[in-house]
Amino acid sequence: MKYMLMMQGCTKANFETFNAWQKKDLQAHIAFMKNFCKSLGESGELLSAEGLDAPGQAVAVRAGKDGRPVTDGVFPESKEFLMGYWIVDVKSPERAYEIAAQASAAPGPGGVPMNMLIEVRQVASGPPEEWS
Amino acid sequence: MKYILMTGGRKAEWDAFAAWPKNDVQAYAAFVNSLNRELTESGELVAAVGLAGPGQAKAVRAAQDGTPITDGVFPEAKEFLAGYWIVDVENPARAYEIAARASAAPGPGGVPMHNPIEVRQIMSGPPVEFL
Repeated sequence: MKYMLMMQGCTKANFETFNAWQKKDLQAHIAFMKNFCKSLGESGELLSAEGLDAPGQAVAVRAGKDGRPVTDGVFPESKEFLMGYWIVDVKSPERAYEIAAQASAAPGPGGVPMNMLIEVRQVASGPPEEWS
Repeated sequence: MKYILMTGGRKAEWDAFAAWPKNDVQAYAAFVNSLNRELTESGELVAAVGLAGPGQAKAVRAAQDGTPITDGVFPEAKEFLAGYWIVDVENPARAYEIAARASAAPGPGGVPMHNPIEVRQIMSGPPVEFL
């Protein structure tokens, strides 16, 4: 079963607080993430993992009447931006939640576990049969 | 340059989608399939993923002892990701062009939806000073 584990819940304002972290805290956080990915790779459960650029760089695109991109869309102030994600292939949803909890406990300032919210969603293997 | 193109909506919008007539859903799926094929042929498609509905989504946090707490609640206004494309393109303008194609996917009655697509660059790795 494939699950997507999303590091969500970051507004633009929240994101700014990362800039105030001490360098060693950032380094510990990154080291944790690298280790975490490595262990998921070794268990054969990791399919992909990506980190996204800062919310300030996000662009809201719509097709104009003529199909050309309109890039001046505005995100609501309260919008929660995706920071990054993992896609894992696991035996059960419980295992996906276990992995999500590990990511949730990534170290924050002072090495204290952040216990951040991770959104867990199943990945569809394809469109439902009635669509085709 | 790698970009992620994300589409999604609030739960109410998902519910509305579930009420589309079958032929509109089929036209939408055919559009997405053909866009994916075209991006595969141009060598720009890295991944295309669809997610299960928001009803199945879980908000997970680690408890003090590190075990998962799975009874988290999402805010009412939360936008749920429906799916995404990752494309590897020459420049941001090309990513926006592809996003506009996806935005013009047919909705009910075959009318282009013009829904917003969130375009974000994918980082190749953490900044050097983090390592």
